[in-house]
Amino acid sequence: MTLTETKRPAPPPVGRRSAVRGRASGRQWPLVALLAVVSVLTVSPFLLMVVLALSPANEPTVPHRWPDGLTFDNIMTNLTSSGFLTWTVNSFIFSAVSVVVILLTASMAGYAFAKKRFPGRDTLMWAFLATMMVPFQATLIPLFILVSELDGADTFWGLIVPTLANSQAVFLMRQFIRDLPDELFEAAKVDGAPEWRVYLQIVLPLTKPILATLGVFVFLWHWNDFLWPLVVANSDEVRTLTVGLASLRGEEFPQSMEMAAAAISVVPCLVVFFVLQRYLVNSIAMTGLK
Amino acid sequence: MRHRLRDPITGLLFVLPMLVLFVIFRFVPTLGAAGMSLTDYKISGDWSFVGVDNYARLLDDPIFLGALRVTVVYVAIYVPLTVVVSLSTALLLNSVIFMKGLFRGALFLPYVTSFVFAGVIWRWIYEFDGLLNGLLAKIDLGPVGFLDDTALVLPALATVSVWKGFGYSMLILLAGLKSIPRSYLEAARVDGANAWQRFRSVVFPLLRPALFFVMVIETIGAFQTFDLIYVMTGGGPSRASYNLILALYDQGFGDFNLAYAATIGISLFVLVFIVSMIQRRLLDRSEK
Repeated sequence: MTLTETKRPAPPPVGRRSAVRGRASGRQWPLVALLAVVSVLTVSPFLLMVVLALSPANEPTVPHRWPDGLTFDNIMTNLTSSGFLTWTVNSFIFSAVSVVVILLTASMAGYAFAKKRFPGRDTLMWAFLATMMVPFQATLIPLFILVSELDGADTFWGLIVPTLANSQAVFLMRQFIRDLPDELFEAAKVDGAPEWRVYLQIVLPLTKPILATLGVFVFLWHWNDFLWPLVVANSDEVRTLTVGLASLRGEEFPQSMEMAAAAISVVPCLVVFFVLQRYLVNSIAMTGLK
Repeated sequence: MRHRLRDPITGLLFVLPMLVLFVIFRFVPTLGAAGMSLTDYKISGDWSFVGVDNYARLLDDPIFLGALRVTVVYVAIYVPLTVVVSLSTALLLNSVIFMKGLFRGALFLPYVTSFVFAGVIWRWIYEFDGLLNGLLAKIDLGPVGFLDDTALVLPALATVSVWKGFGYSMLILLAGLKSIPRSYLEAARVDGANAWQRFRSVVFPLLRPALFFVMVIETIGAFQTFDLIYVMTGGGPSRASYNLILALYDQGFGDFNLAYAATIGISLFVLVFIVSMIQRRLLDRSEK
């Protein structure tokens, strides 16, 4: 695409770069070793969590000694407990619905902000961006009162809908669509295509890469979200996995069970990571999405 | 261009769904927070105008002042720590070719998890019965109550947060490092500059925008830390990790002092705003 071509700097001559690499490689090994140590340290909590999750409940395990045998009992007990299953399903609903609605509304708004002219457009865009300056927590109390007044406490819509107002998503879509050539949209209009078809058949297909990136981020943001689900979704029917996981504490709930619950909760994040790592990594560098 | 000019209705229609969401769930609560902080809004819905009473109460409230202190100390520990870790790992990754993708993935991995997840794992790592004390016992040290010691709790929490989040800043800085033309570094090398001099005079100035972005993002994030502290310490011991968001949460959802909780929220906003402005100034000045 023209966009990526214009952004990429000219590659240095091949011969010259390999000469630099060749010269440096001898000195690389200490750095590689250091990097390996830091990487192992970073990943080790995950590995230890897996060992704990697979250790028989209430028996000695790491760090004191290696467990006598590994078992899937903790994983299975969690997965068959109705509360835990409900939380997991709720988190999926929360994340999936948010992804779909945010991708739709943000791409629509981004298209209008980028390619349409309407009264108050720049003021509105500015107002959207300004809300990024206001920490979510600063609005938490009035937001909770508002949602409660609308009978949204302990409901799915009360959990989901307030989190859909996402200025990062709108801004990202606007930036991306603004760089697409106007002619693409003009041609369709000249052919007499109604506006909704321009959106469905031109805007959506052209923005696929950025929609995919945004979708991954929205999924992670919502799957990992905590404060809003904590205050708005108190009953087991609506509670999400992060809030449920945070509530598992105490004597009657063994360490290995808690680790098994944590391990299950992180699986979707790890799937996203392993399948889309290259994508995630590149998009952070390019867009600064967080 | 002609079409852009005569499209006021469709433009608005396309913005409308997101606009409605924003007005109801962002603009109204933002104004609501500011308005509420000037009232004595009660859970029953009754309220009367009280002027700046809530703000005056903040300045007189040892719990708020303690939470403010904890917030600032936490930011002061966390931000330098995470910038150093993410910059060092970015520099390392940038100078290595062997298995670079694997290392980058491993270092970035914790970023995709939740703070609740990180909190659960690290609570075990810090416990008396946990990993670190197990390792310390092997060399006849400890046990150390990482989360039970008022002096250790904030560094301990900041460490978890760095572990969970440094991969993000590392990637931003890595992209910044990659955009530095190799020829600049080569030229400096030819001129006899050693590694530190090359970093100081070539890399650092060119990396400054990325570093600034990382510092701002991390500072704002650190001011808003909640999940991790809620899960790991609940603000303890003796409120040594009780920050502004925990105070806001307790006032709002524990004691139902809704107007006072909203006032704490506004003070957080003002604090983050001022710090962002100061950082902006410092950058502008350093670029002159």
